[in-house]
Amino acid sequence: MYWTGLSPDEARESLANKDKSKKDKRMTLSKAVRSFVSDGANIGIGGFVNSRQPLALVHEIIRQGRKDLTLSFQSAGLAPELLAGAMALFPDRLHIRRLEFAYFAHEYAGISPMFRYLAENGMVAVEDWSNYNMSARFKAGAMGLPFLPVRSPLGSDIMKSNRSRTMECPFTGRTIGLIPASHPNVALIHVQEADMYGNCRIKGQTFTCPEIAMASQHTVITCEKLVEHEVVTAAPARTSIPFFAVDAVVEVPFGAFPAMCHDCYYFGQGHIAMLRQAAEEFRKGNKAGLESYYDKFILSAKDFDDYIGRIPYKELNLARQMESRSLELQKFVESC
Amino acid sequence: MACHAESFTPQEMLIVAGSRQLEDEKVVFAGTGLPMVSITLAQLTHAPGIIPVFEAGAVGSSLIRGLPLSVGDSRTTCKADYLQGLNAAFELTQRGFIDYGFIGGAEIDPYGNLNSTMIGDFPVGYRKPGVRLPGSGGAGDMACSCTQTLIIMAHEPRRFRRRLSYYTSMGYFDGSPDARKKAGLQGKGPYRVITTKALMGFDEETKYMKILATMPGETVESVQEATGFELMVDPDAYEYEPPLKEEIRLIHEAIDTQGYFVKREMKQ
Repeated sequence: MYWTGLSPDEARESLANKDKSKKDKRMTLSKAVRSFVSDGANIGIGGFVNSRQPLALVHEIIRQGRKDLTLSFQSAGLAPELLAGAMALFPDRLHIRRLEFAYFAHEYAGISPMFRYLAENGMVAVEDWSNYNMSARFKAGAMGLPFLPVRSPLGSDIMKSNRSRTMECPFTGRTIGLIPASHPNVALIHVQEADMYGNCRIKGQTFTCPEIAMASQHTVITCEKLVEHEVVTAAPARTSIPFFAVDAVVEVPFGAFPAMCHDCYYFGQGHIAMLRQAAEEFRKGNKAGLESYYDKFILSAKDFDDYIGRIPYKELNLARQMESRSLELQKFVESC
Repeated sequence: MACHAESFTPQEMLIVAGSRQLEDEKVVFAGTGLPMVSITLAQLTHAPGIIPVFEAGAVGSSLIRGLPLSVGDSRTTCKADYLQGLNAAFELTQRGFIDYGFIGGAEIDPYGNLNSTMIGDFPVGYRKPGVRLPGSGGAGDMACSCTQTLIIMAHEPRRFRRRLSYYTSMGYFDGSPDARKKAGLQGKGPYRVITTKALMGFDEETKYMKILATMPGETVESVQEATGFELMVDPDAYEYEPPLKEEIRLIHEAIDTQGYFVKREMKQ
């Protein structure tokens, strides 16, 4: 058995030695990535498929460049896709060594061309798991346990593709699966609200974000909006991730765009289609479109605000309006 | 008096058949894409009491903000009774709260096993597959732990294969008795396979795929021709009832109004 992030003992030791004080953790995107995302890191990616993908952090990682990364997630689209595209275009700048995951695509918007490109060319080590496996692996890490027993997907080739074990349950005598904890070096998580200490308030589904944050050695949070600490203490049961699991807080409005963010904005569907088209062209041998995407939206952008500034206002506003709550209003918006 | 649609596409028939397979007041774990369309159609027609569960964390939702484009979409959370995350959703599955898992797949074999991981030679070619598919997502878990599974997919010879490149979501394994139980699984396995050409079930004894009904315009022969292995045929096989005008209208005017999952075809 080997551990691709921290071993359970290392994870425990690292927390024992960590400053857990309630201090101001606000910083710039650039400093957060410089401080907590290192070469060789196992990165836990928050969100689910194209919801709350930590894209501001991903853009910054691509700008700064990192090598030898392991990406751990249950289901994701845009975050690993942008990293994979960066690796395909600029191998000296960004390199992914390994993927531990359950699903890598865009659901309604189709497959991930850059994942296909890397996997079908044997450029990256893959370890398939199921969604519950990856979620339970983060949960085991968050619980301080080296493994959890699971009932699925026993008997499948998934169990032959990864480090899981099966054994006879000592209590029932039936076959049971065991999956090892995941302790990433750093969790990248985008939320709606956080305070300066790192207390996070997630709206909508939590996905596996709290578990990833609690399991990881470090957690970097981007939030749509910084809120006063009193907002948190007025309703502490609404805190999804507590401050002492968090190392950095960066306020980044539209920080997941063109992924969606519950209650803030819906998918930037036009932008996703454009990126996917360029990636699909790349997979078929035409690099120009994807190169110009990275140049225009990531590499020549000073920071994420600069990228958002390059998205037409009407695209951002449409995504914001589409996230409104009523179907009637949505129909009205779509018809305009 | 039932008023049937005069013309419809195979995909529309597929969605309608998926909807009709869903029982009212059952808990249904919804996979992405067509299962979401069928569940919504069922909610709007014969099964308003369906309780959908979405793996990203929403339980009991009504899709009143329109069709979600993702099972993690905010639209899956409308009017939800309970909203958590993936662990909670899959723990419900493992505990036994889910009556039906509703999933798709790229490839299926005669025993209802599905592949959504890779086309190529496993394990030798795992590091460099011919075609890399997105991966299990939650389908592998649903197939194992939901009480029963409904499978919905397009019916093409390349999708219906005697042997799969990779076994992602387990059905009846090799059909041997108690194969699922021996592997440690709790769910009973696939109940129905709903395709563009047929409604199929599994032989009680051999767990082998069996035609229960052919879709309008199809025959046992045409279904067999589009299948990469030999199918059993139920002695009472019948022709499936075509979509109602109202079902087609709801699909396009109330559910997938933008045509994300359901293609609109020019009617002749």
